[in-house]
Amino acid sequence: MGFLRFLRFALVRAGQGFWRNRMMSLAATATVILMLVLLSGLVIVLGGLNSGLAYIESKVGVTARLVDDLTTDQVDALVTDVEQIPGVASVTYVSPEEAMHRLEEAYAQRGQTLDTGGADITLYASIEVDLTDPAMGDSVAAALSERPEIERITTRQEQYDKLIGVTNIIRLAGIAAMVLVGLTVVFMIVNTIRIAVFSRSREIEIMRLVGASDAFIRWPFIVEGMLCGLLGAVVTVLLVALIWGPVQPLLIEIFQMPTAVGAQFYTFVAALILTVGLVVGMLGSWISVRAHLGAGA
Amino acid sequence: MTTPAVTTDEALIRLVDVSVTYPNGKVALNNVDLDIRRGDFIFLVGPSGAGKSTLIRLLIREQVASSGRVYLAGRDLARVSRSQVHRLRRRIGVVFQDFRLLPNKTVRENVAFALEVTGAPLSEIRRRVPRLLSLVGLEDQASQLPSQLSGGEQQRAAIARALVHDPAILIADEPTGNLDPVTGWEIVQLLLEINGLGTTLVMATHNQEIVTALRRRVVALEDGRIVRDELGAAYRRS
Repeated sequence: MGFLRFLRFALVRAGQGFWRNRMMSLAATATVILMLVLLSGLVIVLGGLNSGLAYIESKVGVTARLVDDLTTDQVDALVTDVEQIPGVASVTYVSPEEAMHRLEEAYAQRGQTLDTGGADITLYASIEVDLTDPAMGDSVAAALSERPEIERITTRQEQYDKLIGVTNIIRLAGIAAMVLVGLTVVFMIVNTIRIAVFSRSREIEIMRLVGASDAFIRWPFIVEGMLCGLLGAVVTVLLVALIWGPVQPLLIEIFQMPTAVGAQFYTFVAALILTVGLVVGMLGSWISVRAHLGAGA
Repeated sequence: MTTPAVTTDEALIRLVDVSVTYPNGKVALNNVDLDIRRGDFIFLVGPSGAGKSTLIRLLIREQVASSGRVYLAGRDLARVSRSQVHRLRRRIGVVFQDFRLLPNKTVRENVAFALEVTGAPLSEIRRRVPRLLSLVGLEDQASQLPSQLSGGEQQRAAIARALVHDPAILIADEPTGNLDPVTGWEIVQLLLEINGLGTTLVMATHNQEIVTALRRRVVALEDGRIVRDELGAAYRRS
């Protein structure tokens, strides 16, 4: 019961302090929202890029177009030889009929029908080589280029490397931006709580005189800082929920690949926002309380 | 009449060879020995800068002696950890010349505040606050703000707040300093009444009339030293 009483005391005092100092509190909350919106944007973009990377990784391999009119035995021999190349996980032969079927399916997924205009189109046969490691693409392609059965080789290695580069740049820039904005937010909260402490200096003096413990003096201010963080986090979660719908199609359009940013990911982002908001609020107010109330009140 | 020697067992407050020197070199207290028994009523007198405030700060552990020992109920205050100072302060009530009431809280709220911030349950607050207001004669002013009270009423409210934890000691630092003589006497009468209930009282004052009229124990400080410690004494040495 003592703890509940203390908790209630801290929450009530924090709420009173937040309201009494509301202009500063709201300003601090606004900076929290800014930071958390940036954070959630960064996490969503990186999440999309990572799932795109995973998609490419699953596709990364080597596709080799075969010369025309290979016999079944020649194809089987080729497949067996290619499977022995270091870095090759598996080899799949795609016949011209299978290739056509896949193309018709791809159109159907977009709600379209393949229209050849009456022409009789024959697609080429190919082998699709899955790699044990995306980094082996170049060496496998080099080995295949020596085979007479193979006409042309394509890899997605370059695309993968480009995307990795972009992802890394965004991650680094994002982290740098987050650190700068985060420091600003912490500073805002430190300042807000500092003003709160000064405005309540008389109460604090009385509290010390009548024997209030350090916890009773300090924790209402710490909770007040957490309130700024929590309020900012809640607003950000609502904002993210509003833009969540358009985000996924936009990511697909930008990156031209499936980017799985689903409901589970939103839950993760929301939890992250709430946690970071609370932690930043608590950190700022704790720093301020230590500085202006001393190590021991 | 000088004060009889007391044993450690009887002394509620004991200062043993206490000195306080500030960083700028000023000696606020110089080798002070003082025993205060349970139930004593002591006037602490002396000119400004004599060391009265410093002595009070020592007793409430706002300050630690540069040398010597300060004991409260046998406990060396220098050995009290920072985390336990708040418990110590609940045993000591303090009232000041400027009352130090919270201006946005009513009399009842000011007194209750001292209980709230020390974790007292609501039932205890509801029980104790009216009793304290009754003790100091402020039942009818319970819902008023300090700005609506006279100086004497404000000081009564401050006394009620100082008594919330049933302290063993009540320290009054110039409690009549901002009051007219009549009101000042009323406050002193209240303090005497509280002392009569068993609370040890230490009153720092410049009020010669009150000290001389009451003829209680007088501890006079000058330049950080106790120059006089007499029972039944006047403000000035006769």
